[in-house]
Amino acid sequence: MSRLLNAEFRKLWTIWSTFVIFGIVVLIDLAFGFGLALAPGGRHGGTAGIVPHGSSQWFVNVFSVLDVSRLLALVLGVLIITGEYRHKTVTPTFLAEPRRGRVVMAKTGVGFGAGVVLGVLTMLTGLVLGLVLVAMKVHSCLTPLGVSQGMSQALCSVQHGAYYVATTHNMWHEWSRIAPGVVLGTGLFAIYGLGLGALLKNQIVAIVVGLVFTLVVESIIGAIWPTIGEYLPGQAATALEDAARTNFGGGTTQLLPWWGGAIMLLIYGIALAFVGTFTTLRSDIT
Amino acid sequence: MPTIQARGLTKRFGANVLAVDHLDFDAIPGGVTGFLGPNGAGKTTTLRMLLGLVTPTSGSVLIDGHRYRDLPNPTMRVGAVLEASGFHPARTARNHLKLTAEVAGLPFSRVDECLDLVGLSEVGDRTVGGFSLGMRQRLELARAMLGKPDILVLDEPANGLDPQGIAWLRDFLRLYASEGATAGDGGRIVIVSSHLLSEAQLIVDDVIVLTAGRLAAQGRLQDLLAGSKRSVRVRTPDADRLIQALHDAKLPAVARDGFVVCDGATPETVGPIMVENRIEVHEMGSSTESLESLFFALTGGEGMQLVHTAAQTGDYRRFNDGPPASPGPSRSAEPIGGQ
Repeated sequence: MSRLLNAEFRKLWTIWSTFVIFGIVVLIDLAFGFGLALAPGGRHGGTAGIVPHGSSQWFVNVFSVLDVSRLLALVLGVLIITGEYRHKTVTPTFLAEPRRGRVVMAKTGVGFGAGVVLGVLTMLTGLVLGLVLVAMKVHSCLTPLGVSQGMSQALCSVQHGAYYVATTHNMWHEWSRIAPGVVLGTGLFAIYGLGLGALLKNQIVAIVVGLVFTLVVESIIGAIWPTIGEYLPGQAATALEDAARTNFGGGTTQLLPWWGGAIMLLIYGIALAFVGTFTTLRSDIT
Repeated sequence: MPTIQARGLTKRFGANVLAVDHLDFDAIPGGVTGFLGPNGAGKTTTLRMLLGLVTPTSGSVLIDGHRYRDLPNPTMRVGAVLEASGFHPARTARNHLKLTAEVAGLPFSRVDECLDLVGLSEVGDRTVGGFSLGMRQRLELARAMLGKPDILVLDEPANGLDPQGIAWLRDFLRLYASEGATAGDGGRIVIVSSHLLSEAQLIVDDVIVLTAGRLAAQGRLQDLLAGSKRSVRVRTPDADRLIQALHDAKLPAVARDGFVVCDGATPETVGPIMVENRIEVHEMGSSTESLESLFFALTGGEGMQLVHTAAQTGDYRRFNDGPPASPGPSRSAEPIGGQ
């Protein structure tokens, strides 16, 4: 099995598309992160109301956009299995290891590993993002009249407002709270994508189904039946993030406990891969 | 001694397509076995069933009594060269081979050896996307040879190769098959599928002829050709006298296209008759039946890709004449059934 794992890892790092996905992750994380962090007017976070720039809650919101990376982990998982069919490398793969279930197991392990690497890359990008925001000394003043960005601390105290400034301390606190959940979430989402790929086999179809389900269908189901919504993959991954609870705290979104989310995601990924192995992947390679 | 046995091998695609129909055959070690048949005869499907890529509807094809997927490390037993498309275009040739070497537990030095064997050492670090079809075929052969297998299966290997490449492959397969006999490892099985009969005729020792998913003939190529039709043609100003002389010798001579043609005769029988009768000869040639015409006889003249020219075979049927006349009752190229 270790030989199979080594070969599957080699497949990933010997093609540039893997690194393109990693590059997209960094770009999207930076764009979304800075976009949210520097958008004027703060962000409304459920019943918490206005979130002043520079506050801990503001960092929670900024870092929570990093979980967009899990969509790319899903794509990576899909590619690991459908790329073989697309380029017909599945023929040499199954010639060297004709027990197809073992190949899928190795791919599942490697998919999880690649998803974790992608999550680590995400959080490193987040750390850079946070350090830049701290260096920029992003600050704001919350007065009964509202939030004012860029007001100096002296002027803020004159107006009896609460002064907030981004510090290394509150950045680090929120970063370390969300990091494990994001990393585990991308790892498990890669397995979920791999399962989709195993079941659907067609690269484009599997990517579209995965993204549309996560972005659109889940939101609709979650809005109509929240008790079902919390068991769906996207919400299950969000439940992994401890910080998400304060982000949405007291809001309408229900979340499973973090371990519940992990179990649900594993079930989705393994079940799809299992069904795919015994249906789609058993079909003839012609 | 490796064995390959197919028994009742059947593959049905969907409800209507019967690709392979109760096929029985044995591949024999020590020579090159040609898997021949027109397009759609079931050659590729049969080979892919042998390699565990396609699951038979019924029946079996076994390697040393085992299914391919039950071989512990198939790379070490069976090398396969299939259609030249199983490459990621962005991966280098060397990395492509390392994937199989890694799964089989082979050292990467073997990758370099095999690249060298097929003459791709210098382009080993280039991505396969820039490779020609012929280079991809050679890379596939390199992959097949990684485990030094005693069974080699090649599906239409000549596709995409230029004439030098084909000649090289021919020599390679001959050497590989014969090495098995001398190396004392009990012989090797080489199976080459082809619809290019002129090419196959030069490589194969044994043939398995498929038509419409069924076995049409199996046996040694020599034996199949030995009993087949021969003829002699002579260009002479004394055509009438020659025909008369041949008829006197109970040989069926006719004048055709400015030649005297004598079917079923050899130069050894016609020559003395001409000397005896002092007949002036301007040109004389003989032909034996080619694999191609044998093939037509076996498969009922189904579509052929390459037609022999007269220059190659001495067969003076013109290109546009269409398939040879249907075999007469005397034709001895009877199908030889599987055992």
